[in-house]
Amino acid sequence: MTPVLDIRDLGVSFGGLKAVDQVSFQAQRHRITTVIGPNGAGKSTLFNLISGALRPHRGQVLIDGVDMTGAAPERTKAAGLSRSFQITSLFSELTVAENLRLAAQVLEPVGRTLLPISRSTRALAKTGQMLDRFQLAHKRDDLVGNLSHGDQRRLEIAVCLASEPKILLLDEPTQGMSHGDTAATAELVRGLTDDVTVLLIEHDIGLVMSLSDHVVVMHQGRKLAEGSPDVVRADPAVQAAYFGHA
Amino acid sequence: MHDRLTQSMRASHLLALLFVLASLALAAMGTATDDTFYLRLGTEALIFAGLALSVDLLLGYSGVLSLGQALYFGIGAYVSALTLMKVPSFWLAMAAAFTASLLAAIIGGLIANRVRGVYFALITFGLAQVLAKVVYNTRELGSSDGMIGIPVIEIAFGPFSVSTGSPVGFFLIVLVVIMALYALTAYLLDTPFGRVLTALKSNERRVPFLGYSAWRARMAAYVLAGVVAGLSGALYPMLRGFVSPELMFFATSGNAVISVVLGGVGTLAGAIYGSVLLVILKSIIGSWTEHHLIVIGLIFMLCVLFLPKGLAGVLRPPVEAWLSRHRRIPGPVPDAPVLPAIAVDTKAAPQ
Ligand SMILES: Nc1ncnc2c1ncn2[C@@H]1O[C@H](COP(=O)(O)OP(=O)(O)OP(=O)(O)O)[C@@H](O)[C@H]1O
Ligand SMILES: [Mg+2]
Repeated sequence: MTPVLDIRDLGVSFGGLKAVDQVSFQAQRHRITTVIGPNGAGKSTLFNLISGALRPHRGQVLIDGVDMTGAAPERTKAAGLSRSFQITSLFSELTVAENLRLAAQVLEPVGRTLLPISRSTRALAKTGQMLDRFQLAHKRDDLVGNLSHGDQRRLEIAVCLASEPKILLLDEPTQGMSHGDTAATAELVRGLTDDVTVLLIEHDIGLVMSLSDHVVVMHQGRKLAEGSPDVVRADPAVQAAYFGHA
Repeated sequence: MHDRLTQSMRASHLLALLFVLASLALAAMGTATDDTFYLRLGTEALIFAGLALSVDLLLGYSGVLSLGQALYFGIGAYVSALTLMKVPSFWLAMAAAFTASLLAAIIGGLIANRVRGVYFALITFGLAQVLAKVVYNTRELGSSDGMIGIPVIEIAFGPFSVSTGSPVGFFLIVLVVIMALYALTAYLLDTPFGRVLTALKSNERRVPFLGYSAWRARMAAYVLAGVVAGLSGALYPMLRGFVSPELMFFATSGNAVISVVLGGVGTLAGAIYGSVLLVILKSIIGSWTEHHLIVIGLIFMLCVLFLPKGLAGVLRPPVEAWLSRHRRIPGPVPDAPVLPAIAVDTKAAPQ
């Protein structure tokens, strides 16, 4: 079976800095693949290359076997890929419901693009569903800019899911969350694999070990190791480069 | 399920309705007193309200400041004038102005949308100045004098007809056209298409990751705004019987921006109120002192400082509250901040 996401020899440099260099791995369908590595290892840059935020200088990105290398973000989105951002990126002047609906609107047939928004029934239904699932229903009319950090992080995941993607890229979803919120988010991410393939960036090693099916370790732009959580943890190179500092 | 924008749009519609009622009252009074001056002044205010509407679509919804929207207004006016001198048909003039402003806005959009923020404001300003100068120096278009002698025409709708020379008749025609442009813009903003435009203002960078091309959305907003300005401009020579390069000058674009800020950015109805307010202010203050521009400038500054949401910012919340009490939908939430900061985006610099 073709892997849902196939990264081949991907690379990009900023001036002389090889931020991502010769990275290859695959994400298997309905599994959680976690990318770990110290600060500046190139994890977020890797996400930027996959999602189309940046164009790679070399290598390929295949989504479901289709070459999407260097495709614009709206095209990777159309191919079924949703992503979140390390620094929350939402529409702070719109309400919670409006944010979700904007994302869910891609589910509607094109013919409804110029009809009143109240006719977009699928997007409306999806919005309601996401509000319930993420316990944001009581905040549906709040401006996103007024939400707490934890709520914004949760909404960010909800917005990514509202378009029913095949692949979900989450860049440190639990960053800055309270202990309780982190646990709840981990639980939520675990429950996602029925519908989507998850590619995760996460710093909390405990979470990485309990959540991941597959771990890719990055260091200075390169892939240092990959494998199951236990195999990766036992790898001496990984221990030196990563756990050594942890 | 109503959302915030749908609801604040309803408040805008109510304000627009009040505006129409007030205009009809003016028309009735004008007819009763056999007035020409105020009806003509009102007609002019309405025509410039169309230009303000187009500025508000860009500034208040897609979040970019155009300092050259008069470009499309002027193109509409000149094309309408040229058409009317050949064929005295209202519909043909409107169709020609529509086509010309559409094409011009596509070209202008391709140029201006390469950049963001301050650069966008500067490029739109530059485009308008360049074309104004070209017109200013083109003898076939009357050079600096503009073109005079545009005939009074009969506007026919089936069995009825109205003359552009009739103060009240033409006032009503212009009212219908401008309110139709308002209705069209408001309708489009309340569709999925329109929601992508408003998303641009809030966080343009996120838009492509939701699956929408930000560039296309920006182009769509720009072209729509250009056409709204062009159709409004097409009415101008019918009112005044002449066109001049001043219509494309910065003063015209700048007045439209001032109208929007006075009336309330991002409210559409506010742009119409603001435009009328500006015309009233100018004629009142102009009758006291010839330095009326200084006074208008001061009023503008005071408005930005103390009434940043403009007239509609004051009028709309109570209307929204009233509407929500009568429809039992969630109460109003504070409006989005107006006057988007013109962030200098390093990535947006010309490449
Ligand atoms: N747009 C850019 N221009 C120049 N350098 C960049 C750019 N983006 C990232 N970098 C550099 O590339 C390297 C990798 O950055 P990246 O953000 O991918 O790291 P990361 O693994 O996500 O780190 P963190 O754990 O801190 O989020 C860093 O040295 C960073 O400074
Ligand atoms: Mg990062």
